[in-house]
Order: sequence, then structure tokens, then C-alpha cells
Amino acid sequence: MERRSFLITTGAAVLTGCSQAPSKPTVGVAFETLQTEYWVASRDAIKSELDKRGAQMIEAIADGDANRQFEQVRNFIARKVDGIIIVPKDAHTVIPMIRAANNANVPMVLFNRPPAKSDTKSVSVVADNFTIARETVKYLAEQAVKSKKRHKAAILIGDLGDINAIGRRDGFDEALKQYGEAFQVVARIPTEWNQEKALAGLTNALQANPDISFIFTSSDLLLPSIVSALKSAGKYKKTGEPGHVFVAGFDGDATAWRLLREGYIDAVGVQDVYFDTEATVKAVFDMKAGKQVPETILDKGFVIHRDNMETESRRMWGANVAKG
Amino acid sequence: MTSIWRRAVLSEYFILYLSVAWFAALTPITPGFATAENLGNIFSSMLPLLVVAIGQTVVLITGGIDLSVTSTIALASTVGALLTTRKEGAGPALAAIAVMLGIGIAIGAVNGLAIHSLRMPPFIVTLATMMFFSGFAIWLTASRNIHELPQAFTRIGRGLDGGIALTLIVAVAVHVILTRSILGRWLYAIGRNVRTALVSGVLVSRTTIAAYTISGVCAAVASILYTGRLETGSPVLGQRILLDVIGATVIGGASLFGGRGKVLWTVFGVLFMTLVDNSLNLLGLSNFAVLMAKGFVILGAALLDTARRRYV
Repeated sequence: MERRSFLITTGAAVLTGCSQAPSKPTVGVAFETLQTEYWVASRDAIKSELDKRGAQMIEAIADGDANRQFEQVRNFIARKVDGIIIVPKDAHTVIPMIRAANNANVPMVLFNRPPAKSDTKSVSVVADNFTIARETVKYLAEQAVKSKKRHKAAILIGDLGDINAIGRRDGFDEALKQYGEAFQVVARIPTEWNQEKALAGLTNALQANPDISFIFTSSDLLLPSIVSALKSAGKYKKTGEPGHVFVAGFDGDATAWRLLREGYIDAVGVQDVYFDTEATVKAVFDMKAGKQVPETILDKGFVIHRDNMETESRRMWGANVAKG
Repeated sequence: MTSIWRRAVLSEYFILYLSVAWFAALTPITPGFATAENLGNIFSSMLPLLVVAIGQTVVLITGGIDLSVTSTIALASTVGALLTTRKEGAGPALAAIAVMLGIGIAIGAVNGLAIHSLRMPPFIVTLATMMFFSGFAIWLTASRNIHELPQAFTRIGRGLDGGIALTLIVAVAVHVILTRSILGRWLYAIGRNVRTALVSGVLVSRTTIAAYTISGVCAAVASILYTGRLETGSPVLGQRILLDVIGATVIGGASLFGGRGKVLWTVFGVLFMTLVDNSLNLLGLSNFAVLMAKGFVILGAALLDTARRRYV
């Protein structure tokens, strides 16, 4: 019985492709989670980039557990990988992991989340959250001011322990600053990237200020909460319909693409996953080859809206996910 | 041959033999598995999990369960980190460790008292304390991680020396309690039949409180190791390890119905779980395949263990 169990498990492992040509470069890819579309799309794009370079990807998902991620990174090092790509749980717990990679002389690239300041060496590929958010909100504001009325605005803020959330909030504030009295921010809703909190917060804000007509969400993950709250308040209208609420998102996921096409939202700040993953994989190989790589590589992203959506959709990862 | 095979299956070292067989079977097809570096990784990964699992073993022996170990780890981590952040030297580190152990004792004692005094099921009591203290840790830190911890504190979790020393102290102490003390005999007696134990003069109240207190202390020691290793105090530290802790303890041989369990068996259970986790990670399978394979392997080990017990 025992022997059969071993045969089945080891056989399954062999069949699923664990034995690879030893000469292939191997890159360990450690994601904190795969629980959102963005992370799955990023993981798939990284795999595709590594395939293009003839490299083997070994992956590990920490399910939100920083200690597990630390162990996974050490396993990669023990496996003598040629580089590590990591989406860390957070900016601080990743420091000992970078240190372990530095000690083993294994290049480490952080995807989407930069580390806290420390004496360690790594490269981070991150979205320019401030600029993308500012340009997205600026576009939305330009559309809104055409109505020549004063708008009450709301922002759904992410986890303020996350530097990405802070950059997006600051970009929102910077964009609206230029319009002076035309916008009054009446609700700053803390969500901690949680859909339930976003729904409760926005529902309360719409009750307190039923004339909110301008909403920016720091992540497309929260769009379903916005849709639900607007429907409950009887304000879920398409662009051009009376009572339409101007809405913009951030990320560029499949839901955002669908709502943009249907006309329920007006603009989306898109993180260019294809640029990010290409730059990440390139950085790993450049570091391995001893080339100089900047400490931070910025993804400038782009804004997709109803006027450019047909041409820009090719670059929008969520549109490609939706198209299958 | 048949006799050797039979003896191995019926032996209390069965999970150890299974671990050795797993290691032997996976070594040829798992790159980097049998290297000194990886064996060091496996060993160091085992330490904090083993400490929590030893505490859980004591509780399982009494027929209870302690779900609050994860919140004890998180709360001890955040309080310890808050007390030591940006403070160099051994003094603050030692004070923080004492407070962390105190938190473990307090939460364990609260669990034990509530279970005995209120006659509530351990599952509900420890579920409630898990939720309460997890929420408290998050409130205390406003969801933020605490960093910039002194080296005197982080060294315990970062290096192997401190981890080995603490784990050995916990393992030997609990082993002695279980095998050489009256408290140990009472723990098993409660687990086998609480009514009989009571009639026989066992101090059920104190013994129950002691079991949960030991579990709380073990969780606090694990928290010291995890916090030092990650150089960060986190209100969500250890949130995902509960199933690994209970899984390793039960696979080792402790019974969910009480009356059975040994420190040595738990060592074997933790070793097996860590080996499986480590090897599947190194195999380069997709995450979904790893999860499915892990579930399959654990179920297989549990089935084998259940089947062999019919003949023990």
C-alpha cells in the first residue's frame, strides 16, 4: 500500500514535468498570492517572458504568509536558481529574503512592490502610481467639468501601509488641485483593499452625500463594490445618461474593460503588465550577466478611456484576459 | 522480510520511516533536495512549527484543541516588536521576550479557565479567543508591521543556535512533563475519560488550565522565532499555519479524541510535513499542483496511519 502511494505521487510529479534539461536557466518566481486577476495575469506574463528566453520557471505561492515566503526563497536558493522574482508580502518582511539572496549571490527582482530602505541590494519594477493616477483623474475631471457644474468627489483608498495605495491617493489629490472649486472631495473611504469595506464605505458616503458625481477607485478590484453601491442609490447610469456618475479605476482588469465598453465607467489607469514583466525578466538576466541595472524601473502605464479604447485595448491586460 | 515490513508499519516510528522513504524516493527527481544547504533549510523551517505543534500535542492529549495559537503568535509578535523597535541592546530584547511569554501564559490561562469554568467546548472558546486577539493585534498596530528591531532580538530567530536551543528546551520540558510527572499522567487521564479522571482524584480544572497554558507558552516561543527570522512584528504573523500545526500533530500520531500523543511523534509529523512542503516546492510544479499533491500525500499518510492502528 505504502509503495503504491509513493509510486503514484512520484509518478505524478514526473508526469507533470519536474524533470527538465539541466542546462536551462532556472528562475524562481514567488508570489504572495494569486487571488486577484492582476496577479494571475502577471504570473502568466512572467512565464511567457521566461519561455521566450528558454528559461524554466519554478513557482511558489505564499498565500499571504511572510514566513512561508521566506522559506520558499531559501528553497529557491538551495535549488541554485539563476534569479528570483518576488511579489513580496510587504516592504519589510522581504528584507531578510533579499539579504539571503544577496548572500548567495542570486539576483532578486521585486515585482510591483518595492522594499523598505535597507542595506540590501535588489531591483524593483513598479508602476508609477502617482503619475498614472494623476493622469487618469485629470482625464476624468476634464470630462466632468464639461457639465459646467460643481462636483462632489469620492476616493476609495487602499491599504495605507501599501506604498502603492499612497501614490494613487496622492495622484488623485494632485489632479483635482488644478481644478480648484470645481470639485469638493466629500468622502475618502479607507478600504484596505477589501470589497466589503469599500461597499459599506461608499454606501454610507452616498447616503450622507447623495449628490456625489465623481468617484475614483485606487484598484479595479473594488469596482464591483462601486457598481453595487451605485445601483442601490439609483445612480448606476451610462455615460451621457442623466445622473451619470463619473467613475475611474486603476489597474486595468477585465471588469474595468467590460464596464468601460458598456459605458458605466469613463477611464482606467492601466498598469502595463507586459512592460513590467518584460522589464522584470530582463533585469534578472542582466543582473546575472553582471550588467548595471537601475534600482527602480518605473512603469509609466497609460490611461484608457472611451475615446482611445479600441486602439489601446491591445496593451490593456484585462482586455486580453476578457477576450480569452 | 514480511516480518520487518510488518514491524515497520506497526512501529511508533512509522511516520519517521515514511519520512525517510519520502526523502529517498524524491531525492533522485528533486533538484537540490538532498544538499546540505537544503537540509539546513528543512531543519530551520521545522523549528517554529515544531514548537507550536508540541503545545498543540499537549492540548490534543486532553481531548481539546487550541485554535488560538495563531492569534497568540500575532499578538506576542506585535507587542514584542513594539517594545523593542529602535532600541538597541539586550535589556529591551529580554524584557520583550518576557512580555511575549507572559502573553502566551495569559491567553492560555484564559482559554483553560473558560473551557473548565464555563463548560464550553474548546473549539468554540479558542475560536473566540483567536478572533478577539487577532483583532486586538490588528487594532494595536493599525494593521502596520513593526520593524527596525534590535539585533539582540532578531538573532534568536535568524540564526540556528537560538532556534535550536529554544526548541530543545521546549521539547525536553514537555517530554519530561508528559512522561515523568503527575501532571503528564493527569493530562492523559483527562483525555481518555474525563469522568473517570475526576472520580480518580485528578485535578481536572488545574490540569486543563495547565494544558492550554503550555500551548500558549509554546505559541509565544514560536512567535519569538518567527518575529526574529522576519525582523518584523506583524499582526497577521502565523495566521495561515493552523492547519499545518494540527495536520503535523495528528499525522504524528496524536488523537483528535484525546488520550494519545507524544513529543517524539509530533517531531516526526512536523518532519514529514516540512519534507513534503519543501520537496514539492523544489520540484517546480505549479502552485495548484503543489496544493493538490500536498492534500493527496497528507490524506495518504493519514489513511496509512489509521489502517495500521487497527492492528496495533
